[in-house]
Amino acid sequence: MIGVLKSLATTMKHALGGETFTVEYPDQAPEVSPRFRGVHKWSQERCIWCRQCESVCPNDTIQIVMDEDRNGEQYNLHVGQCIYCRLCEEVCPTEAILLTENFEFTGDTKHDLAFNKEQLKNVPWYKDMDPIQARESDREAWVGEGDGEVDYQ
Amino acid sequence: MSMQDEPDVEETEPGAVDYDALEDLLGDAVVDRETHLNAEAFVVRGDAVTDALSTLKDQGFDHMASLTGQDYDDRYESIYHLRKYDDAQSEVSVIVPTPRDDPSHESATPVYSTANWHEREAYDLVGINYEGHPDLRRILLPQSWTGHPLSKDYDQDKPQIVTLEKHKNPIEEDMEVEATGDDLDTMFLNIGPHHPATHGVLHLKTVLDGEQVADVDPDIGYLHRCQEQMCEKSTYRHQIMPYPDRWDYTPAGILNEWAYARAAEDLADIEVPEYAQVIRTMSAELTRISAHLLAVATFGLDIVGDFAAVFMYAMRDRDIVMDILEDLTGQRMMYNYLRLGGVVWDLPEPREEFFEKVRQFLDAVPEKTDEYHNVLTQNELFQMRTVDTGYYAHEVAKDYGATGPIARASGIDYDLRRDDPYGYYDELDWDVVTREGGDNYARLMVRMREVEESAKIIEQCIDILEDWPEDERDLQANVPRSLKPDAGQEIYRAVEGAKGELGIYMRSDGTDEPARFKIRGPSFVNLSGLHEMSEGELISDLVATIGSLDIVLAEVDR
Amino acid sequence: MASSAPLVDHISGLLNLEGLLGEVIAGLLGSVLVAVIVLLFAALAGPYMKRKLTAAFTDRISVDRVGPYGILTIAVDAIRLLTKELIVPENADRPAWDLGPMLVVISATMGFAVIPFGSGIHLADPQVGFVYLFAVSSIASLGIVSGAYASNNKYSMLGGLRGVSQNIAYEIPLVLTGASVVLFAGSLRISDIVAAQSAELFSIGAITVPAWFGFVNPFAFALFMVANLAEIGRNPFDLPEAPNDLVAGYQTEYSSVYFVLFYLGEFLHIFLGAGIITTLFLGGPTAPITALNFIPGIVWFIAKVWGVFFFTQWARSAVPRVRPDQLLDIGWKGMLGLAFVNLLLTAVIIGVIV
Repeated sequence: MIGVLKSLATTMKHALGGETFTVEYPDQAPEVSPRFRGVHKWSQERCIWCRQCESVCPNDTIQIVMDEDRNGEQYNLHVGQCIYCRLCEEVCPTEAILLTENFEFTGDTKHDLAFNKEQLKNVPWYKDMDPIQARESDREAWVGEGDGEVDYQ
Repeated sequence: MSMQDEPDVEETEPGAVDYDALEDLLGDAVVDRETHLNAEAFVVRGDAVTDALSTLKDQGFDHMASLTGQDYDDRYESIYHLRKYDDAQSEVSVIVPTPRDDPSHESATPVYSTANWHEREAYDLVGINYEGHPDLRRILLPQSWTGHPLSKDYDQDKPQIVTLEKHKNPIEEDMEVEATGDDLDTMFLNIGPHHPATHGVLHLKTVLDGEQVADVDPDIGYLHRCQEQMCEKSTYRHQIMPYPDRWDYTPAGILNEWAYARAAEDLADIEVPEYAQVIRTMSAELTRISAHLLAVATFGLDIVGDFAAVFMYAMRDRDIVMDILEDLTGQRMMYNYLRLGGVVWDLPEPREEFFEKVRQFLDAVPEKTDEYHNVLTQNELFQMRTVDTGYYAHEVAKDYGATGPIARASGIDYDLRRDDPYGYYDELDWDVVTREGGDNYARLMVRMREVEESAKIIEQCIDILEDWPEDERDLQANVPRSLKPDAGQEIYRAVEGAKGELGIYMRSDGTDEPARFKIRGPSFVNLSGLHEMSEGELISDLVATIGSLDIVLAEVDR
Repeated sequence: MASSAPLVDHISGLLNLEGLLGEVIAGLLGSVLVAVIVLLFAALAGPYMKRKLTAAFTDRISVDRVGPYGILTIAVDAIRLLTKELIVPENADRPAWDLGPMLVVISATMGFAVIPFGSGIHLADPQVGFVYLFAVSSIASLGIVSGAYASNNKYSMLGGLRGVSQNIAYEIPLVLTGASVVLFAGSLRISDIVAAQSAELFSIGAITVPAWFGFVNPFAFALFMVANLAEIGRNPFDLPEAPNDLVAGYQTEYSSVYFVLFYLGEFLHIFLGAGIITTLFLGGPTAPITALNFIPGIVWFIAKVWGVFFFTQWARSAVPRVRPDQLLDIGWKGMLGLAFVNLLLTAVIIGVIV
């Protein structure tokens, strides 16, 4: 009987404590870690069409179409199929493909989630977070960008 | 260890197996001998399997860890991976080759009960027939499936046609059997695949006598996602690593990743830097905590009902762990944090903040577990429900190859972190939790104690990481971008996952993809003993037993 | 002798209604008033408070989006449930299947007729009010078993069987414990039982505590509370539903309107149970200390009913559900014996001492 009372007392303590841990989602944007992996953002200026992301992708989420002169034509990425492993970002030598912290994306059908390069360019940052800064501080040196702002468009 | 304990070191030295003596003992059953990276393997004639295995079992190899079925161009092969519960490093494998035109050999079920499900899986996916198997049915794929998808003759493009007639009521036959049986008082009941208590898409075919469970037969495979085949089609270096996260997604992802990393690193002979090992140990234990907290939470839900407060409390605390893991790995469940030869990232900057956050959680762990004890385990009604229900006897558990908290709750002192050390575990001070009860209550208690032990491990790792010199923080070994291990190597390696021994068997063929990739899911094996625990008990106990087994269907079905 | 229909008489007096027709109209008006109060509790406030209370016990906020404090969520839910398709299972035993949910609701609402709400709201006060109360409230098990059996579903049937065995096992101690109250009050009439509780138990200075049977015989009160939990099917005795073993027990196959009826019936039963406890043990609409008598009786009554409701919800989040065999063990071996002991002791005390 004492154990039952103890259980009752413990739950009552919580009820009286009044503390809640609910995040009231759309009203209150949740904090995400700077390393969080969300929807991709792609930069045409930076992409050198090396196709490494396409070949490393574990489940063929990225599809690149080139003409016979190896000029890039299409860059398609199905964000609904993606498993968010970040391997594309990891192998990309120029940081043309990035995973933003943005986790909010919807589509009426699964086809709406197949992003082409225009859609990928226009993916917004989440709370203006720059993923590179947080994920790998020495990466910029490796890419050779130098100082200053980087425009991903 | 003090000097007095030294004398019998020769006998107890882990991993010391006299293979020549074993070969002599097995006599003419052995036709050949191979060397796998983890152990020697005896090639045994197909009609001497039972004898050979019982000889080995008498020699102390009482744990049939796994069975790999595979086919080569000229033969089929079953590999029984055996080890000792008392000494996990003593391993031996038994290879049974069978000809391509008639792949069948003796079953191991008379020796190890756990072979039952393993052989059904090998039959289902690879197509090897096991003579003398009591119940050789498909296990992961539907009964109507034609062909064996992991065999080389299988035509991937041929559609599977199931006629409407055949599909009308897949269990009608079972029901007829029940209805015409001697005992007409029983009732056949399908629990699942959509049922609140099965923790996923598990289907239990139960026969009830009143509310008493007369027979229970788990029907699995609803969540079969061809993980083995997907890994066989992916490269060692990058592509396999995201998939282990999806086996045990409770989330114990890093533990699963480690299972693959450990096997692949041993296969390709990669040395992992010590700093990375400490981070691996820490992050793996964090995921273990989150997995165990989920187990406690859902078990509370099964016993208390939908409004269980303990469910929310444990979920809330698990969320803190997931926040920490998100800071570290970038994802809350599907981490993809480990890489061959190390980890992908160092701790997040600023490090002090991260340490502070982890310490804050660890400091609160005793308080939280006290709370769970107050709400659950100390409650007399809860004890009434769980003590002496779902009893898994010590010997039975061994026979069914139980590992992890299930085994430890039945008094089997078996924990790969200690018995087959990897990572940084042997440098740290922690205990293996065991209990003698073998019932639902003991299994829950073992998990709750393990949360505390994991917290101890993490605390030590944090201290070590904090003092690590800044210029020696090597995260990854130098691993080539395209990894091609030498052809013909075979390895079975396991780590202590959240649910038990998570083993990976891999065979290399010289390319950058494994030729065979076999996953030994601990949940799969633990579930296979369900009928031993629940037959003769009430349906409520069956539900509680499923809860305390803490199976993850993604790992059962893979 | 007091009126056997206080509220009806009051209304007919107020509106100058006379004759049989007038009595019928007054009776209807009275029933509507009681039904509105009861439905406000069971259909609106009950489900809402259930969510809010569970949220409080588990550190959450719960509904707060639709309407002030999320109160309109219940209206939204009601519309959602009522507009859903009513799925009738194949081979359902049709009239029985329809009767099930209705019986559950009818049995609970009929019980409220004899409950004194205080401030004159007391629809009927027959000589055998006590017997009537328990008689109608146990009709619900009939509804449960009829719905469960007619659903042609194995889970429903198991739930129905559990429901019946549980109700039989706990009805007896419930009535026996209630009978000890009758011994104290010396009458089966509800108003007499309430009146007996307004006598003075003891007084400390200016504070006078009335002789509620909950104070006079706390043992019986505790027994009654526990048996009542089983009667209304709440933790630790929510086996007929037991969502984790039996999906949803007897109501597995019900959807849309019929589901709403079951759901409503469940809440009505909780409130009826709370009403019975309040009437028999907590002095009905009387104030806990006589100095507070200036607050209307109905306020006290509502407060007490909600207190009992709160307790059921509290137990739900903290107390594990027992197994069917344990439930019957507790019922037949424990509760029944204790109820008899309680009854005998009460009889002896009243016969010898008083």
